Amino acid sequence: MDHYDSQQTNDYMQPEEDWDRDLLLDPAWEKQQRKTFTAWCNSHLRKAGTQIENIEEDFRDGLKLMLLLEVISGERLAKPERGKMRVHKISNVNKALDFIASKGVKLVSIGAEEIVDGNVKMTLGMIWTIILRFAIQDISVEETSAKEGLLLWCQRKTAPYKNVNIQNFHISWKDGLGFCALIHRHRPELIDYGKLRKDDPLTNLNTAFDVAEKYLDIPKMLDAEDIVGTARPDEKAIMTYVSSFYHAFSGAQKAETAANRICKVLAVNQENEQLMEDYEKLASDLLEWIRRTIPWLENRVPENTMHAMQQKLEDFRDYRRLHKPPKVQEKCQLEINFNTLQTKLRLSNRPAFMPSEGRMVSDINNAWGCLEQVEKGYEEWLLNEIRRLERLDHLAEKFRQKASIHEAWTDGKEAMLRQKDYETATLSEIKALLKKHEAFESDLAAHQDRVEQIAAIAQELNELDYYDSPSVNARCQKICDQWDNLGALTQKRREALERTEKLLETIDQLYLEYAKRAAPFNNWMEGAMEDLQDTFIVHTIEEIQGLTTAHEQFKATLPDADKERLAILGIHNEVSKIVQTYHVNMAGTNPYTTITPQEINGKWDHVRQLVPRRDQALTEEHARQQHNERLRKQFGAQANVIGPWIQTKMEEIGRISIEMHGTLEDQLSHLRQYEKSIVNYKPKIDQLEGDHQLIQEALIFDNKHTNYTMEHIRVGWEQLLTTIARTINEVENQILTRDAKGISQEQMNEFRASFNHFDRDHSGTLGPEEFKACLISLGYDIGNDPQKKTGMMDTDDFRACLISMGYNMGEAEFARIMSIVDPNRLGVVTFQAFIDFMSRETADTDTADQVMASFKILAGDKNYITVDELRRELPPDQAEYCIARMAPYTGPDSVPGALDYMSFSTALYGESDL
Amino acid sequence: MDSFKVVLEGPAPWGFRLQGGKDFNVPLSISRLTPGGKAAQAGVAVGDWVLSIDGENAGSLTHIEAQNKIRACGERLSLGLSRAQPVQSKPQ
Repeated sequence: MDHYDSQQTNDYMQPEEDWDRDLLLDPAWEKQQRKTFTAWCNSHLRKAGTQIENIEEDFRDGLKLMLLLEVISGERLAKPERGKMRVHKISNVNKALDFIASKGVKLVSIGAEEIVDGNVKMTLGMIWTIILRFAIQDISVEETSAKEGLLLWCQRKTAPYKNVNIQNFHISWKDGLGFCALIHRHRPELIDYGKLRKDDPLTNLNTAFDVAEKYLDIPKMLDAEDIVGTARPDEKAIMTYVSSFYHAFSGAQKAETAANRICKVLAVNQENEQLMEDYEKLASDLLEWIRRTIPWLENRVPENTMHAMQQKLEDFRDYRRLHKPPKVQEKCQLEINFNTLQTKLRLSNRPAFMPSEGRMVSDINNAWGCLEQVEKGYEEWLLNEIRRLERLDHLAEKFRQKASIHEAWTDGKEAMLRQKDYETATLSEIKALLKKHEAFESDLAAHQDRVEQIAAIAQELNELDYYDSPSVNARCQKICDQWDNLGALTQKRREALERTEKLLETIDQLYLEYAKRAAPFNNWMEGAMEDLQDTFIVHTIEEIQGLTTAHEQFKATLPDADKERLAILGIHNEVSKIVQTYHVNMAGTNPYTTITPQEINGKWDHVRQLVPRRDQALTEEHARQQHNERLRKQFGAQANVIGPWIQTKMEEIGRISIEMHGTLEDQLSHLRQYEKSIVNYKPKIDQLEGDHQLIQEALIFDNKHTNYTMEHIRVGWEQLLTTIARTINEVENQILTRDAKGISQEQMNEFRASFNHFDRDHSGTLGPEEFKACLISLGYDIGNDPQKKTGMMDTDDFRACLISMGYNMGEAEFARIMSIVDPNRLGVVTFQAFIDFMSRETADTDTADQVMASFKILAGDKNYITVDELRRELPPDQAEYCIARMAPYTGPDSVPGALDYMSFSTALYGESDL
Repeated sequence: MDSFKVVLEGPAPWGFRLQGGKDFNVPLSISRLTPGGKAAQAGVAVGDWVLSIDGENAGSLTHIEAQNKIRACGERLSLGLSRAQPVQSKPQ
C-alpha cells in the first residue's frame, strides 16, 4: 500500500454531530439526501428489476418498500396486499415497518400513514433508518460497529494515504481524496492516485464517482458540486455512499477473504490430503513391515545347537533394539499424524478421516497387537528353546559321561564272565572264585540303577526331541542289551561255579574220608612192617615164644586189614569215577594226604611178604634161645660154686685181719696160706671166664640161674686178690710201724678194734663222723685227757691213726698231710683240722693247699721253686706250663730264678690262706 | 647287711682263707678261719664278704690282685667286711 503524503487540513478535524440533529432537516441536506437515498434504493431495487424516481412518492403504496426490504435483507416479507386502497397501502407499509421493527430498529415517530401520505421527512427518515439498519449497522470493523465501525474502516483503509484524514462523515470527504483513496486502496489499477491533487476536489470527487459507478457497480449517490459547494456535506448521504463503498469492498474483501479462506481451506485440504496420503503410506509400510516380520517371529524351526539358538536370540535382540524402535516410532508417528489429522479436520470442520480399508487405526493396532503377541511368543519360544537346548546339552553330556563310565566298567566283564577258570580250580580256589563272583554280583546290582539312570536320561532326551536322539538311543540300546547279557552270563557263571563247587566238595569229602582211613591204615601197615622187620633181641625162650604168639595174633588180623584196604581203595575209585563222569579237571592229588593207593597196595604186598619171613626168623630165634639156655645153665652152675667160695675166702681173710689172733707174723703166714689157695683156684675162674665168653658171644646178658655175674666173680676175685695182698701188706706195715715207732701191739689193736667197730660196712674206711666217733672212742674224748681236752692230737698219734686206717704213711705223704692239718706248725693236729682233712680226703678233692703243699714238697720245703726243680719233678709238659705261668717269687728269701708257686696254687682255686 | 671294719695288727699270717675274685665270678669272701687266729680274734666270721682291702674297693680285684694286696700290708691289715642277714640276699 502506498503511503501518500497527507495534506493536513484542520478542516476535517471537526467533531461529529449527533444524530438527533437529523430532525432539523437542512434543505441542502434534504436535497442531498433525497438524491443519495434514491440512488441507494435503486442500487438495490434494480436487483428486483425495478427503480424509483421519486422517493417520497414511490414508496407510498408500500410495495416497493417491501420489495426493497426483501432485497436488502434477503428475506421474504409477508404477502403484500394487492389492493389499491389506502388501507392496503397502510397495511403494506406496516408490514414493512413491522419487518424493520422485527430487525430490532426502533422506529421513532415514523408511522405508516405518514409514509402513505408521502411525508418526505418521514420517508427520508424511514429510508435512513433502513439504510442505517441494513447497510451500516452490520458493519463491524475490529469490534467497532455501525457508524464508528464504518469510520474506523475508512480510517484504516485510508491510513496509508497521508493526504487523507477521515474524521467524520462530512467535511473530511470534501476534497474527494477520501473516496479516491478508498478506491485506490482496493483497486489501485482503477485510479492513478499520484496524479490527484488536493486542491482539485471536484476532479477528485468526480473521478471517484465515475470509477465507482463504472467499475464498482456503485451508482452515483452524491453530486460533486453539491459537496464542494456545501460547507458541511450531509453526513447521512456521505455515510450512505461510503457504506456502499464499504459493502462493495468488503464484498471484495469477503471475496478475498473467501478466496483466502478457500485457499486456506484448500491448503488445509491439500495438507490434510498429504497427511492422509502420508498416513496411508506410513500405515501401508508399517503393515507391510508387520506382515513381513510376523512370519519371522512365528518361525518355530528349532535349531540343533545352543549356539545357533543363541544366534537367533541375538537376532531377536537386534530386532528389539535396532529394528523395532524405529517402527515403534513410526507407529507412534502414525498415531500422532492420525490424531493431528483428525484434529485438523475437526478444527477445520471437515469430516473425520477414514483410512482406507485395512489401514484403519484399529487395523494398525490389531496388527501391532498381533506383532507384539507374536513377539512375546517368539521370545518365549526362544528362551524355552534355549533352555531346552541347554537342558539337552546338559543331558546329552550327562548321558555321554554316564554311558562312558558304564562302558568302561563293563569293559572286559563279559570276557571275564565267560572264563572257564573254574574247570581247573581246586575247591578252595572255587570258593574264592565264588566269593569273587558274589562280590561281582553285588557290584552288578549296584550298577543296575546306573543303567536305569542312563536309560532314563536317554528317554528324556527323546522326549525333549534331542537332535541326535538316534545315536543316543542306539548307544542306550547297546548298553541295555549288554546289561541283559551280563546278567545272563553272571547267572550262568554262578551256576557253573556252584556246580563245580559241589562236585569238588564231594570229591573233597571223599578225599578226606580216604585220608582219614588211609593214614591209620598206612600207619598200621608201617607199624606192621616195622614190627615184622623188627630185629628182636630176646634173651629167653619165653620172650621168643611171646613174639611168636604175637605174630600169630597179628596174622589173624590180616583179613580184616585187607577189607579195610579194599574199602579205602573203593573210596579212591569213587573219586576217579566222579572225575571222569563230570569231567572235572583235577590237579589230581588228594590234599589231605600224600598216601596214594599205589603206596597202600605196595605196602600191603610188602607186609604180605614180610609175614613168612618173620615166621622163619622167629623159628630160628627160638632155636637159638634154647641153645642159650643151655649155656646159661652151664655158667650158672659154675658161678654158683665159685661165688660163694670167693665170698667165704673174703670173709675168712677179713676175719683174720680183724680178729687179730696171734702175732702179726702169725697173721702174716696164715694170710700167705690163703694166698696160695686162692692162686690155685685161678683155673676155675678161667674156665668160668671161658663159659662167660661163650655167653657173651651168644649175646646172653642175663642168667636167672645164678645171681653171680661174671663181673661179680671177677671183681670178687680181684677183690680177693687185692684184699689178700692188702691185708698182707697191712700186716707188713703194721709190723714196720710197730718196729719203727714202738707202738704197742695193744695200741694197734685198740686202734684197730675201734676202727673196725666204727667201720660198720667193713669197707676198711671211715667217714669223718665215723672217724670222729672213732677217735673219741679211742680216747680223744675231751673229758679224759688234759691233752685230749684241747681237742688236739699230736702228730704221732695222728700218724698212728692214719696208719690204722690204712693210709700209706710215707714220710713225704705224712708231711703233706701235716702241712694241711697243722699249717701253723704247732705240733698238734686239731680235731677240726683233722676232720676237715678227712672230709676233704674222703671227698677226694684237690685244694689249693694240697697243690701248694705238693709244690712245697717238690721245692724241698722252700717257699719258692726253681725252674730246674719243676723240670725235674714234673712231666715236661706240666713243668713248662708252670714255668710259663708262675710269677717270680719276691719274698725275703728270694733268689734269682725263684718262682712263686703259692700264688700260682691259690690262683688256680681262688683260695688262699693269708 | 651289716658292714664293718677290722684292723689286724701284723705281721702275717692273719689266720683266714680268702676265696673268690673277679676272675672266678665270685665276690671275695672269708671261707675259713684259723681258730684263735688274728682274724678270728678280731671278730671276723666265715662267710663274711670282703668289701675293701686297706681302704680300697675289693669288688673289682681278681684273686691274685686281692692276694697281693693283702700280702703287701705288712704291719697292719685293714679290711672292710659285710655280714649277710639271716634272710639271705645276694650282694651286688
